[in-house]
Amino acid sequence: MQAGISPQDSFTELPAAGVRLRMAETRGSIIVSGKIAIVGAGPSGCYLAQALLKSRPDLQVDLIDALPVPFGLARYGVAADHQGTKAVTRQFSRIFERQGARFFGNLRIGRDVPLEQLRAAYDATVLAAGLSADRRLNIPGEDLPGVHGSAKLTRALNEHPQAVSLPDLGSHPVILGNGNVALDLLRLMCKTPAELDGSDLGPGPTAWLAANRIERLTIVGRSPAAHAKFDPVMVRELGKLSNVSIEVEKFAPSDDPDTQKRQQALTDIDGHGEGPVRVVFRFGLQPTAIEGVDRVTGLAVEGTGGRDVIKATSIITAIGFASAGDLGREALLSGGALPDGKLDDGLYGAGWFRHGPRGTIAQSRSDAQATAAMILKELSIDPARVGNEIFAGLPELIDFAGWQRIDAAEQALAAPSRCRRKFTSTDDLLHAARQRD
Amino acid sequence: MKICVLYGTETGNAEMLADDIETALSDDHQVDCANLCDVDPADLGKETFHVIVCSTYGDGELPESARPFAQSLEQNRPDLSGISFAVFGLGDAEYAETFTHGSIRLADLLKACGATQIGERMTHDASGDDMPEDLALPWITEVLATFSEQSKEV
Ligand SMILES: Cc1cc2nc3c(=O)[nH]c(=O)nc-3n(C[C@H](O)[C@H](O)[C@H](O)COP(=O)(O)OP(=O)(O)OC[C@H]3O[C@@H](n4cnc5c(N)ncnc54)[C@H](O)[C@@H]3O)c2cc1C
Ligand SMILES: Cc1cc2nc3c(=O)[nH]c(=O)nc-3n(C[C@H](O)[C@H](O)[C@H](O)COP(=O)(O)O)c2cc1C
Repeated sequence: MQAGISPQDSFTELPAAGVRLRMAETRGSIIVSGKIAIVGAGPSGCYLAQALLKSRPDLQVDLIDALPVPFGLARYGVAADHQGTKAVTRQFSRIFERQGARFFGNLRIGRDVPLEQLRAAYDATVLAAGLSADRRLNIPGEDLPGVHGSAKLTRALNEHPQAVSLPDLGSHPVILGNGNVALDLLRLMCKTPAELDGSDLGPGPTAWLAANRIERLTIVGRSPAAHAKFDPVMVRELGKLSNVSIEVEKFAPSDDPDTQKRQQALTDIDGHGEGPVRVVFRFGLQPTAIEGVDRVTGLAVEGTGGRDVIKATSIITAIGFASAGDLGREALLSGGALPDGKLDDGLYGAGWFRHGPRGTIAQSRSDAQATAAMILKELSIDPARVGNEIFAGLPELIDFAGWQRIDAAEQALAAPSRCRRKFTSTDDLLHAARQRD
Repeated sequence: MKICVLYGTETGNAEMLADDIETALSDDHQVDCANLCDVDPADLGKETFHVIVCSTYGDGELPESARPFAQSLEQNRPDLSGISFAVFGLGDAEYAETFTHGSIRLADLLKACGATQIGERMTHDASGDDMPEDLALPWITEVLATFSEQSKEV
């Protein structure tokens, strides 16, 4: 608290004071002014809190997540062998440790607390809840056993507490999609145990990868190679795999420099390796049906060369994430979000929830900074708003200290070739959060 | 001493480190911190010591926020003689061939315009166990000591 000023004195100086007098809240020496709720503690929510508190350290920023743990896809999407990318979580931790944001984990908005109640309790609310479902292909045969969405599969590989069990992929899996998620899956599926050293891939997924008997892995793009969304760096990374032999179908060269870069990366890995897993890149093939009677046997495609059926013992669709229908997203976005994320008075959208399943962690940062500026411009503070008091009585909320206990326990449990061993169920996560020594 | 910490970043790691350096030096020096995208190379001052903190993207390229600054160095070739700087590079050793090349590129461009690099370039590996600040804070203390020595000799 500031020397010589009682909370009540300074309280009366706040802009919208005097409605219903409440004791001013303090955080360390800071007298809290406005209260902001962020639904979703993934990269977008974290960057938003960071930007808000950097400009206005006097705000109370509460990050709420349905999971007992923070960081969203940085923990449960980014590949286990990309620890350098996951290291942004060090930055996110600071938001709680030093900037004064609070974490409310194991709290699902829309189930445990209605969105309207949350909005009424905070001066501004931001929906940064991401997208969790798999986009559908909308072709016949899509629901046959053996067809798996990349959202489900990446969650399983990252040991998300709501993950399904890892499926048998057989000898001829086909990945449909030309984005970075498709490449993450391809790379992991081809790695030898030694190539996974230093990752945080769990014992279950590690055993699953080792048990796979892949002979031929086909990766199919609907658009021509020139429009593939791969990051060239991710393509080049495949050139380090020891277990594969890579074949890239011929494609027409482009004259756009960015496209040339991606195409060059593809040309460079063509012919790489003499390993037992044959990896084949094909482009410009529109899937028309998934074939099979009680299980997938092939992917029917249509290209410039006519119709073809690619043999498939399993099909992984990596064509983007979609909304699971939570938080009334479709209705909120139907009017079209205004620039910088405004959805309604005091309500904003950020990250994948707002933009759809596009954009890297870096893009969620610049996007969050623009949205933070918009929120600060419009913020109208009403000290009568109760903030996190509405969570009173909810069982088992996890605060940041609870997450730190989970984090420490996970790191301590890591096998020698791993940097972490995740707790895989909500119960185990909650249990670890409760352990105080 | 007047010090300006300049960062080039995409996901914010370089900014966090720049903030840490600013905080650590603020007791003894007059320190500013800025994003490279907000700085014109022609405005760098001779009386200020510059600490550059920069990550790497693509195949050894500069992060988004450092690109306008680099472009201006390349195209306008401002005379930077008498300007002193030190460089800290962030990267990921998984990208072995281009590890922290963004920071090398920036240092080369500054030197090509006549600026003087003080001390050795220091690097951080995002896949490693070290925290960037644990490497950068002892490094910058040493760099500043070297700089003071050299300034005395002149
Ligand atoms: C498999 C995969 C790999 C990726 N790899 C990379 C990469 O290597 N590099 C890169 O830059 N980008 C990568 N990305 C993209 C990156 O993850 C996104 O840009 C970023 O995570 C978007 O963040 P977000 O915060 O919008 O959503 P999310 O990260 O999904 O966070 C949303 C959070 O909201 C929570 N939530 C959802 N509903 C509710 C509710 N009702 N109440 C409370 N909480 C809720 C969720 O639990 C989650 O924690 C990858 C994406 C995927 C899918
Ligand atoms: C797509 C991508 C490409 C990268 N390329 C390189 C590289 O070529 N060399 C390198 O040393 N680091 C590379 N990195 C690692 C980053 O430089 C590192 O994660 C750094 O900490 C990011 O700092 P920033 O948050 O300040 O941008 C790359 C990271 C990504 C996501």
